[in-house]
Amino acid sequence: MGLLNAVRDLRTIQQLLTKAEAEALRAGEELPGPEHLLLSALELPDGSAVRAFERVGADSSALRKAIEAAHHNALAAAGLAEDDDGVEAPVERRPAPGAFRSTPQAQQVFQQAVALSKSTRPSRLRSAHVVAAACALERGTAVRALTALGVDRARLKAAACAEVGLPG
Amino acid sequence: MKDLKGIPAPDDPEAALAAVVAMRRRATQLELAAVIEAVRQGWTWAQIGEALGISAQAAHKKFTPQLR
Repeated sequence: MGLLNAVRDLRTIQQLLTKAEAEALRAGEELPGPEHLLLSALELPDGSAVRAFERVGADSSALRKAIEAAHHNALAAAGLAEDDDGVEAPVERRPAPGAFRSTPQAQQVFQQAVALSKSTRPSRLRSAHVVAAACALERGTAVRALTALGVDRARLKAAACAEVGLPG
Repeated sequence: MKDLKGIPAPDDPEAALAAVVAMRRRATQLELAAVIEAVRQGWTWAQIGEALGISAQAAHKKFTPQLR
């Protein structure tokens, strides 16, 4: 990897993880999960994650609402759904001191995204790598949010791979 | 108190575990909001810890970074 790409990667990784943490804290959650990585990837300046969603006709701007809907639906299935009017916005958490922490699933998605980026040319992490890696998950909030959004994960993964020149 | 009889049976783990995640998330949100309010009302860390079933030191360590 060239030095320039390495520097770009560091900047991209910092943006990705910082924003993912901010998304989790804003939702009142202690650790960022894959769904927060996805939200973060959609805001990375390279735009390939957004374009991957567009390729499958999905509205990426609705992902945050879809995550909330996934949690709401899970509570509803348990007979514990609250009226939307009765739920106060969560207190935004402050970052915990120390090194960046995330759920094991978010770590897995991040590491898989980096591994995918090494097999593309130029060998540089782009937001679609994160989308492709997240689509490999089979369970959890991110999966249920994508389902709530009407997204077929296999198609989205293929679209994300196409964005970065990887075979789907 | 909500009726808990509708909780998914463990033989539907997909729905049951999704509900656990959502409840845990909600509990985390409620816990922080309640601790902030307790501190605002003058509760000590010993009182907060006692209410949460943790030590005063653990409560202090966990929530102090979250206080504005």
